Amino acid sequence: MNTVQKKILSLTAIVLFIMVATWFILTYYNQKMQDQYNDILQRYLQMNEVSASSQQLVTSLNNYIQTPTSSKLSNAESDRQRLLDAQLQIADLRNNSNHFTLTNYLNLIDSLVDSTNRSIRFLGEKNNEEALNDFTEATRLSKYISEMTLTLLGTELQTYDQFYRGMIMQSVELKKLGVWMLALFTFLLLLFTYWFSLSITRPIQRLTQAARELSRGRFDTHIEIYANDEISFLAKTFDRMRININNLISEIQTKAQLESELQKNKLLLQESQLRSLQSQINPHFLFNTLDTLSKKAYLEGAVETSDLLTSVARLLRYNLKRLDRPVTLYEEVRVLREYIFIQKTRFTERLRFEEEVDEACLYVQIPSLTIQPIIENAVIHAIEPLEEGGTITFRVRDGGSEIIIEIEDEGSGISEEKILHIMEDRFAIQEGDGHSTGIGFGNVINRLRLYYGREDIMAIQSVVGKGTKVILKLPKEREAGVNHV
Amino acid sequence: MRKLVIVLLSAICLVLLGFTLSSFIQVFHYNLSAPADVGSTNKSGYRLILITQEMDTPFWDKVEYGAAKAAGKYGAELEVWGSYGTNQEDFLKYMEIAIASKVDGILVQGLNTDEFNKLATVKAAGNGIPIFTIANDVPIADSLRRTYIGSDHYKAGQMIGEQLAEDLGHKGKVVLMISDHQEDFQSKRLDGILQILKFYPDIEPITVVAGDTREKVVAATNEIMNKEPKVAAFVSVTANNASAMVQEIGKRAQLSRFHIYSFDDSPEIKTLLKEKKMSGIIEQSPEMMGELGVQLMVQWLQGETFPLKYEGYFTDIRLLKADELP
Repeated sequence: MNTVQKKILSLTAIVLFIMVATWFILTYYNQKMQDQYNDILQRYLQMNEVSASSQQLVTSLNNYIQTPTSSKLSNAESDRQRLLDAQLQIADLRNNSNHFTLTNYLNLIDSLVDSTNRSIRFLGEKNNEEALNDFTEATRLSKYISEMTLTLLGTELQTYDQFYRGMIMQSVELKKLGVWMLALFTFLLLLFTYWFSLSITRPIQRLTQAARELSRGRFDTHIEIYANDEISFLAKTFDRMRININNLISEIQTKAQLESELQKNKLLLQESQLRSLQSQINPHFLFNTLDTLSKKAYLEGAVETSDLLTSVARLLRYNLKRLDRPVTLYEEVRVLREYIFIQKTRFTERLRFEEEVDEACLYVQIPSLTIQPIIENAVIHAIEPLEEGGTITFRVRDGGSEIIIEIEDEGSGISEEKILHIMEDRFAIQEGDGHSTGIGFGNVINRLRLYYGREDIMAIQSVVGKGTKVILKLPKEREAGVNHV
Repeated sequence: MRKLVIVLLSAICLVLLGFTLSSFIQVFHYNLSAPADVGSTNKSGYRLILITQEMDTPFWDKVEYGAAKAAGKYGAELEVWGSYGTNQEDFLKYMEIAIASKVDGILVQGLNTDEFNKLATVKAAGNGIPIFTIANDVPIADSLRRTYIGSDHYKAGQMIGEQLAEDLGHKGKVVLMISDHQEDFQSKRLDGILQILKFYPDIEPITVVAGDTREKVVAATNEIMNKEPKVAAFVSVTANNASAMVQEIGKRAQLSRFHIYSFDDSPEIKTLLKEKKMSGIIEQSPEMMGELGVQLMVQWLQGETFPLKYEGYFTDIRLLKADELP
């Protein structure tokens, strides 16, 4: 992962590299030119040295001839040596154009040295006239050497003319190159730096923008930043934070919704309680009276009537219980039987009730008065309107993780539309017309749904003209849901 | 907008890059190798020097040209030194430098003076440097020159003499203008002319000695024309005097009345001939001289041509008449 620090370091490295490279190139060329200048100067100096030392030799020879002392002689000899050294050096300056002249030049120096030597020798032999002759010759030769030095210098200038001009041009070009290079690198670096700084600041700007949006409460904009440094990491973290906040908010919203639903449910319950209270103005009195009536009937030998009255009383007592407390399925089934007994007395042969109950399943807890209203619904719609009556089948069986309760009738059935209407219209308060407890079908569904926290707690299968089947799937383990419904 | 900026920036970038590159190429284009580094070609050829008193005259230019051609052919190195306008001091200095420089051979325009002969005999012979005279000879005895390459001046004089006799119709007065500078070639030419004129007793040769400046030549011409009004022909034995002489004659009389002869080793001669101010000249072969000189020198140095002919190697001469010119 590229860090911002790495980026800055690499930028610095590039700048440094370019600077060093440029410096090296320019310095190298300057150095090369300097060397060339030095070489050229050296050539001229060497030529001049020959000329000067030959003159020096003639002077010291003259001194020696004037006053022949050994110190003068050694002077002359050292000057001769100097000239020979200079000659040796000048031999290296040979090139195509001065080849001929240079050979002449070297030979001239030899001739000068020879004349000098002869002159010294003659002087040693006290042959002054010959010595003077040779001295004169040496003087002339020295003059020729000086002249030829000029010729050589002239040739040199001519030969090197192109070279010198080239050098001047090159130095001018080098200067130009320096300027152009500076301009180019400055421009490139500016561009690069701009691009580079943008690569750092742009993600930050976008992050700032995103943060501003977030602070305004817009949690649904996705934050995406394409960068390869810490900013990108920051952006990702920021985005994760946004998602978390978003989730929390939606959770709170769901909870609030649930809360409100619960509130509504409570209202519903109260309403149903109120209704049941309204319908039982004095339930205790009624209950006591029913009890007394039962005893009286029994004493008078009307056993069936007595039983009927007992059932009614029991049903009544069950109804008097608080509705908001869950009961076991067993209790529900018992009350259901009392109700069926009463209804059988009413409908005699028209009502056929069949039950297939798995006793092992009756321990589950269930909101009170949930199954009886459904059976009652079946009686009202499938038995009452029909002259020949019908069969109501009640099944309780173990369905693995849930207890399955089925209530089946053979009535006229309910249309698809109406089923949907019943299932969808969750909190519509259905009139419990003709219901003994005053609790309607819708009420039952809603209470079951709230109690178990599941929508699919009840299913209705119906074929028009054939009958209706209500299936309750009660989970053995209660999951989420609202307690104490 | 953004696109425009990008295009603009890249254009600037490209321009800068182009300039930098061209500058870069320019800098590296000057591949400076000092000529000194090229050296050490080690020309092992002989170092020859051609010395003349008359640099940059058409005659000597041709000699130079021929010599250079031969030098190139034989791989010798040749350099031409010389003085302008017969400056003897410079000329002798060059001789001395050439000898002190220990060149392998010297081709020199002969100068019959003591200094020249001393240099040629003592210095050059002492250093073992061969000296060939070219175009102008010096007496063998005085100079110890190895050989001579050039025209046979005696024969040239004879050719002039014969032509003279023919043109004059075997009688008349002839002025032979010579220089007071007793050059070998001059005396040979004079000898040649006089040798022929001996056979014609009616022709009277008058030898006039003039100096070697223009004024002296003019004065001498004047004098002889005053003294001998019936002169029929002039011969300028030393070509350098011809132009002044012709000019002076022209001032005093009709040039066509006279027969005027000379030799071609002076710059003005050819022009005078073309203008028909002269009747005829002896044309030499300067190119041949240069070529032959260098060739002989190289061959002698290599030991191929030995011994050399002391009397010299003569190059072609021919008479060029004004009437025969187109």
